[in-house]
Amino acid sequence: VRVRGPARLIASGARLLLRMLSALLGRGPAHLQRPLLGPASRLGILRLAMTAHSFALPVIIFTTFWGLIGIAGPWFVPKGPNRGVIITMLVATAVCCYLFWLIAILAQLNPLFGPQLKNETIWYVRFLWE
Amino acid sequence: MGSMFRSEEVALVQLFLPTAAAYTCVSRLGELGLVEFRDLNASVSAFQRRFVVDVRRCEELEKTFTFLQEEVRRAGLVLPPPEGRLPAPPPRDLLRIQEETERLAQELRDVRGNQQALRAQLHQLQLHAAVLGQGHGPQLAAAHTDGTSERMPLLQAPGGPHQDLRVNFVAGAVEPHKAPALERLLWRACRGFLIASFRELEQPLEHPVTGEPATWMTFLISYWGEQIGQKIRKITDCFHCHVFPFLEQEEARRGALRQLQQQSQELQEVLGETERFLSQVLGRVLQLLPPGQVQVHKMKAVYLALNQCSVSTTHKCLIAEAWCSVRDLPALQEALRDSSTEEGVSAVAHRIPCRDMPPTLIRTNRFTASFQGIVDAYGVGRYQEVNPAPYTIITFPFLFAVMFGDVGHGLLMFLFALAMVLAENRPAVKAAQNEIWQTFFRGRYLLLLMGLFSIYTGFIYNECFSRATSIFPSGWSVAAMANQSGWSDAFLAQHAMLTLDPNVTGVFLGPYPFGIDPVWSLAANHLSFLNSFKMKMSVILGVVHMAFGVVLGVFNHVHFGQKHRLLLETLPELTFLLGLFGYLVFLVIYKWLCVSAASAALAPSILIHFINMFLFSHSPTNRPLYPRQEVVQATLVVLALAMVPVLLLGTPLHLLRRHRPHLRRRAAGRQEEDKAGLLDLPDASVNGWSSDEEKAGGLDDEEEAELVPSEVLMHQAIHTIEFCLGCVSNTASYLRLWALSLAHAQLSEVLWAMVMSIGLGLSREVGVAAVVLVPIFAAFAVMTVAILLVMEGLSAFLHALRLHWVEFQNKFYSGTGYKLSPFTFAATDD
Repeated sequence: VRVRGPARLIASGARLLLRMLSALLGRGPAHLQRPLLGPASRLGILRLAMTAHSFALPVIIFTTFWGLIGIAGPWFVPKGPNRGVIITMLVATAVCCYLFWLIAILAQLNPLFGPQLKNETIWYVRFLWE
Repeated sequence: MGSMFRSEEVALVQLFLPTAAAYTCVSRLGELGLVEFRDLNASVSAFQRRFVVDVRRCEELEKTFTFLQEEVRRAGLVLPPPEGRLPAPPPRDLLRIQEETERLAQELRDVRGNQQALRAQLHQLQLHAAVLGQGHGPQLAAAHTDGTSERMPLLQAPGGPHQDLRVNFVAGAVEPHKAPALERLLWRACRGFLIASFRELEQPLEHPVTGEPATWMTFLISYWGEQIGQKIRKITDCFHCHVFPFLEQEEARRGALRQLQQQSQELQEVLGETERFLSQVLGRVLQLLPPGQVQVHKMKAVYLALNQCSVSTTHKCLIAEAWCSVRDLPALQEALRDSSTEEGVSAVAHRIPCRDMPPTLIRTNRFTASFQGIVDAYGVGRYQEVNPAPYTIITFPFLFAVMFGDVGHGLLMFLFALAMVLAENRPAVKAAQNEIWQTFFRGRYLLLLMGLFSIYTGFIYNECFSRATSIFPSGWSVAAMANQSGWSDAFLAQHAMLTLDPNVTGVFLGPYPFGIDPVWSLAANHLSFLNSFKMKMSVILGVVHMAFGVVLGVFNHVHFGQKHRLLLETLPELTFLLGLFGYLVFLVIYKWLCVSAASAALAPSILIHFINMFLFSHSPTNRPLYPRQEVVQATLVVLALAMVPVLLLGTPLHLLRRHRPHLRRRAAGRQEEDKAGLLDLPDASVNGWSSDEEKAGGLDDEEEAELVPSEVLMHQAIHTIEFCLGCVSNTASYLRLWALSLAHAQLSEVLWAMVMSIGLGLSREVGVAAVVLVPIFAAFAVMTVAILLVMEGLSAFLHALRLHWVEFQNKFYSGTGYKLSPFTFAATDD
């Protein structure tokens, strides 16, 4: 019963955060467009689907995943002498891993400059990744 | 929370042990390992304590045991480990053990002595026999010309009238390296009057003491003249030669040889018998020694513990004081009851209050033990302060992994640790003596978690042996850039390096959903992006970790009843930390979310904004991130600076105000107390010494702790300076997360590029390439393990440890306690 108070706060904080993020999602990655068809398609060669990466979907998936581990997981730990330690471990793992993933994706959300590639790489990748 | 959150409650217990049952009770307590005895006789030297005689006897027995052990080792036997439960024997058994041991030792000494003497004798006989048996041909033949033979005497002196000169012989043996010197000396001293013949024995003889084969040189000196004989004897004595009687007649010599051989045969039989008896004695020693050693060791430990108790002559019992965990009190009382009812008396234990700081007890299992170990290596926690270990279980491997992040290396580490964990119950593994292996083995769960987290961070950094993987398609489209910018083949041939521009439509398609985009591993400017990402990541992780540390301090303040510190210390600390560095984190995240490539040329610099925030200045070329940024920043800086005097003066003023009436009363009361001359002891303890632990761990309001105002202010000033300056330096210190992960990535990449990449590109033919790759891969594997796993692993381990010990723990942990080390025999029972 003690855990419910803070859990509710955390849940409402998470909802607020999601609202903030979805407000930004409208302005999210500034270059969301349908992929241009490259020359390879004219030749009928099977190419990788160059779909635009959305931002909302990974956020929802990972937030739910780590949320389940960190917030719902502690409820299912069986009673025993190690219950406290296991709950601490679950919450700490969820927080650390989620934060690390979030930093990685936020850092790439709005890149200010692009990769500088060698001409050989450009020539090769241009056709390989289409 | 489990028992690892803070130390268990430990109470001071007073034990009344009736003299008849004292030994049994303490022995039983040693088997259980529940309590730590306090030394009540600290002022008494070791020689004046009650049970010193018994301790002495045990020590003498131990000396005899050592002698027996040495003898066993000399005979090349191995002591079997003791089996079964061996409790400390009752005192009356000590005499029996002592007698047996002494007898065995004496027998052993006698037998050994006999054996030595017999062997020396045998050696002499063998040497004599060898000397006699050695043929020194020409001399012997010449000796027969006593005048009775018809042959021309070879030894005829050129002078003439020497017919009745008798030739005498000296025969003996000398060590080969002395033989030339002997020969030379004989020649110089007695030239012309002797003939010496030296022959080496073909068969080496066994040296009686060391048993090594040694060769001997036999000599036969024929001489004439008494004085020459004396000279020769002196010389041979000087050289420590063995000289034996040499009979002239051949038959006599043969008879002597036969006799010698018979004697040596008999001697060898006797020697055989002696050695059989010796092995019998050694067999008895092997039986007696292992359990005896364990028992005497335990007995000595019990007597040493009993020496720490004080004697109460009125009640004919021993009084002991011990620290015991409150949870174990029933077990303690039951143990005392059981062991004392055998003697018909009853031993009791009851709790007494104590002013000293109790020892810290945190129960761990084999998984949590290694994490508690690395926390304790810095300092054992003060009694009942918050224990950082449960959080360290995850944050330590996580911070290690941030610095180590590589899927391949993490997987190798994880598999190695998994192998150790799965094999942990095998006796061969547990008995290994190698120290380095033991270090790794004791940290197997640590390595397991470190490997696991490294795999995760390796996926986020998108590095597997420095190669990136495209689990999802990349978010950067090279084709779009090439088509839109008109990059024909000719254009590409002219330009060696070209940059993708995120402003061009279709080039950047969105953030890579899990980790760093694989295109960056192909880019020449990947460090520009990665450095910026990793530096910001380090600062964010650092601020979160430190804020967590400050929050943990709340639990300490609440538990120790110092709620004023919540308002006067924790709140200002959090405001300072989050107002300045939390704001920095906010700026970083805001810029990530809101500044896009369209305005990349005019993108504001966070660093310049942060510097200007503190200097209250303004850079015209640096655009604000959001409207009214300067107002917000100024407010935050002023607020943070305002927290410093609160932190500096808040707690001392509060404490002084609270204790002012107490101080006044005390100053008045002290004069009366001096008159009365009676000090009422706050302790019920027999031991009047109270150890001088930190007074800050004070339990309630009546702290007799003298509240010296200057001391409190000084303490708080140090704490304030440490915290405020520490905030800045510790945040910068977390940048080692960036530095080490960069170093690891670069080393990994260089190893790949210089070894594997070259190897893979050596030949187009599969056959040649396969053969060449074998040694190249071997080199790659060895260097990966040696440099990247071991060296970088140790380095990242060390830095993660430092981050925990210094940057995290100095926000809430004092580490000035001591561990409860219970009186136990467990160490000797294995």
